[in-house]
Amino acid sequence: MSENAKISGFIGKKILRLISLLLIVSFVSFMLIQYSPIDPVRAYLGEMAVSAEHKAKLEEYWGVNTPPEEKFLNWAGDILKGDFGVSLIYRMPVTDVIKERFAASLALMASSWMISGVLGFILGIASGMHKGTLFDRAIKTYCYILTATPTFWLALVFLMIFSVQLGWFPIGLSVPIGVTAENVTFFDRIEHLILPALTLSLLGVAQIAMFTREKLTEVMSSDYVLFAKARGEKGLDLVLRHGVRNVALPAITLQFLSFSELFGGAVLVEQVFSYPGIGRATVAAGLMSDVPLLLGIVLVSAVFVFTGNLIADIIYEFIDPRIKQQETTI
Amino acid sequence: MLLGVVVVVLALILVFMSSGAPVNSVSGASDELVVNVYSHTGEPDTGFDPLQGWGCGHVNFEPLVQSTLFKSADDGSIINDLATGYSVSPDGKTWTVNVRDDIKFTDGEKLTANDVAFTFNTAVGSNSELDMSNLESARAINDTAVEFKLQEPQSSFIWRLRYVGIVPEHAYEKETYGRNPVGSGPYKLVQWDRSQQAIFEYNPDYYGQKPYFKKITMLFLDKDTAFAAAKSRKVDIAEIEINNVNQTIDGYDFISLPSSRAFGVSFPTQYDTGSKSLQGDPIGNNVTADITIRKALNTGIDRKAILDGVLYGKGDVEYTGVDQREFGNPEAKIKDSNLEEAIKVLEAAGWEDSDGDGIREKNGTEAEFDLYYSSSDQTRQALSVAVSEQARKMGIKINLMGTNWDEIYANQYSSAVLYAYSSIDTFNLYHQYHSKEADATYMNPGLYSNPVVDGYLESALRSSDQAQATKFWQLAAYDGSTGYGPAGDATWLWLVTMDYLYAMDETLDLGTPQQNAGSDILGNIYEWTRIDESSSTSGK
Repeated sequence: MSENAKISGFIGKKILRLISLLLIVSFVSFMLIQYSPIDPVRAYLGEMAVSAEHKAKLEEYWGVNTPPEEKFLNWAGDILKGDFGVSLIYRMPVTDVIKERFAASLALMASSWMISGVLGFILGIASGMHKGTLFDRAIKTYCYILTATPTFWLALVFLMIFSVQLGWFPIGLSVPIGVTAENVTFFDRIEHLILPALTLSLLGVAQIAMFTREKLTEVMSSDYVLFAKARGEKGLDLVLRHGVRNVALPAITLQFLSFSELFGGAVLVEQVFSYPGIGRATVAAGLMSDVPLLLGIVLVSAVFVFTGNLIADIIYEFIDPRIKQQETTI
Repeated sequence: MLLGVVVVVLALILVFMSSGAPVNSVSGASDELVVNVYSHTGEPDTGFDPLQGWGCGHVNFEPLVQSTLFKSADDGSIINDLATGYSVSPDGKTWTVNVRDDIKFTDGEKLTANDVAFTFNTAVGSNSELDMSNLESARAINDTAVEFKLQEPQSSFIWRLRYVGIVPEHAYEKETYGRNPVGSGPYKLVQWDRSQQAIFEYNPDYYGQKPYFKKITMLFLDKDTAFAAAKSRKVDIAEIEINNVNQTIDGYDFISLPSSRAFGVSFPTQYDTGSKSLQGDPIGNNVTADITIRKALNTGIDRKAILDGVLYGKGDVEYTGVDQREFGNPEAKIKDSNLEEAIKVLEAAGWEDSDGDGIREKNGTEAEFDLYYSSSDQTRQALSVAVSEQARKMGIKINLMGTNWDEIYANQYSSAVLYAYSSIDTFNLYHQYHSKEADATYMNPGLYSNPVVDGYLESALRSSDQAQATKFWQLAAYDGSTGYGPAGDATWLWLVTMDYLYAMDETLDLGTPQQNAGSDILGNIYEWTRIDESSSTSGK
């Protein structure tokens, strides 16, 4: 009974939070676009000469002279009806653009999220087990360097080494050059995914590895591990039985919280690898003041990041309340 | 469980690494072509729809999927494609174009004058880069003749007929056509992987000269990635940045083709009286409004040195912005890199350095102004630096302002700006130098106003005869006493025309590329072939 009340309270709170988040995020991004100095018609035409008449028509199409409050209310009204509008750049429904692009990005983000989580966890455990050794210090240094490395730079270096010099991977894109869709195999797609996903995941490794390492050392010096040691358990067995179990859940929680970084990193990696994801659409929409598309992407990405945080919260709240207790005591 | 996942993931990675995915050479078959040459404007966001700008927007180029009424010969002149001829009424407002009777769209339907009229009528309301505001309506007189009614006479309308691809009335749907275009051009679109590539296949029913390449894959990589693609032999021809010109790639020739991309500095020609543009931007500059300053810079600057220094000599010196075109006027050019003469002009007009700071002044005004350029473009930055360094020798101080386009546009009426013009459409000239357009569009940045030049530009635009129009375009640059060119009012400091650079697989033969094709490198795709590899090495 009380458990049920707790759950419904939790859900209600989250839904309220999501709604207010979406409201604020869409309003702020709308205002940012509105007050950015970018003139969409100029951005669209560049240095091309058109007649004044044609320019006036374009200004009408891009809504240059529509008052901002009217523009926003129109947009918000349509959104409530489930209509995200038509992208000004691509001239197709915003929902279609997002569906198409997000699907590609999801594959990239999901795989790199998996790799970074698993790799980071293993490195963290290994490093925590051998605390103070050369191995541990090497991993620590590696993590520090990674956190300081710009994503796009690492992507470029990888591209030069693995694609151009060694020829192990394709130079970008998500499908082979010149191959029609029916001839693209699942493995072709995987092959094109590996390098961008690796780049993205290597950067995510640092955080999770350092966290796991800290946690593990903490656990290893706890009373129950001392007790286990006293019983004669030792080595990998000891770590697996008592350490990993206690470290895994907080690490997974942390991993869910990293959704936002994942999204930001994907934007940069997609640029370098010409990967057709949501990141490149975002850049285009921003640079050309494509209001419907940009706001659509903002909403979707807000929901995406929110979901990550929500899952982390659920783990906090229901699966392992200890985390919350720890947090409050800290 | 976790360990299991790890092992599987690592194993997968290892499998792929060890299998090594051997670098496939450029293309499987020799009649397949991989290009990355459309990078001047990037991918068509709206798809392959001429009514949304494909082929005929920012930069004009061969639309491949559709055919056009006219096309360009190797020498750049306009010749018939779908059209069999055209005539213009004496008042210049009615154009009649006759079209061929024997042409089919790829879906088997016949192409008639109705489709042509439909294409242009639909283009009028397209809200795209394609500016059709002067077209009142198009009408099919019969199956093989179309009549275009213009609001104002416009000789440059021929360029619209040259680049707008004809779409079928029965299969055109604004929302979907760009993804599944039906046309009558040399190629069919097979597949478009958005923001990655487009795959075209040869149209067996094509009426014109049969292209050698049965399949074209057009990549949409940025230039750095395209260069990497060439290095790993994944592309037959890729446009590359000018600063890669001294590199080499095994198996590739680096070629440079003349383009229409002219770089020049615009000068505000009005004095600063405190007035503002409609958008509230300041107007006028007391230094550049003095024709002596503009003349001195035009005379004193060493364009050849700039060409060699910035563009590695890949291009040509430029005096009027349209030197390379048939409507350019050689009389409007002047002799440059004459520092002595420049200084003489300045001193005669009273610009002297009396306070010894190296900068001339006249009546208390220092010979100093700002030059804006887009800081995201290295070529523009290098050109701006070169100009400012050379001007310093004449005692003119140019302050460099590298910034974004919004800043640039806001300052263009009061400061010099480094611009680049690529269009080969004469309509540009009208916009750039006609006073009527001042302050209404961004295309006359110096707010240049000269009634004589206005007269020539109007006559040129209104002319119903192309040869006559050409004559007037030339007179606008210089008629012996005035004009927009350096011999006249010296309204701009035109510097160089840049070649486009390509890394090209050495087995490729481009035939005779069109003169100054600009980005329209695929315009003569019919002449492209792949030559035998053994003969290529002996040939070169």
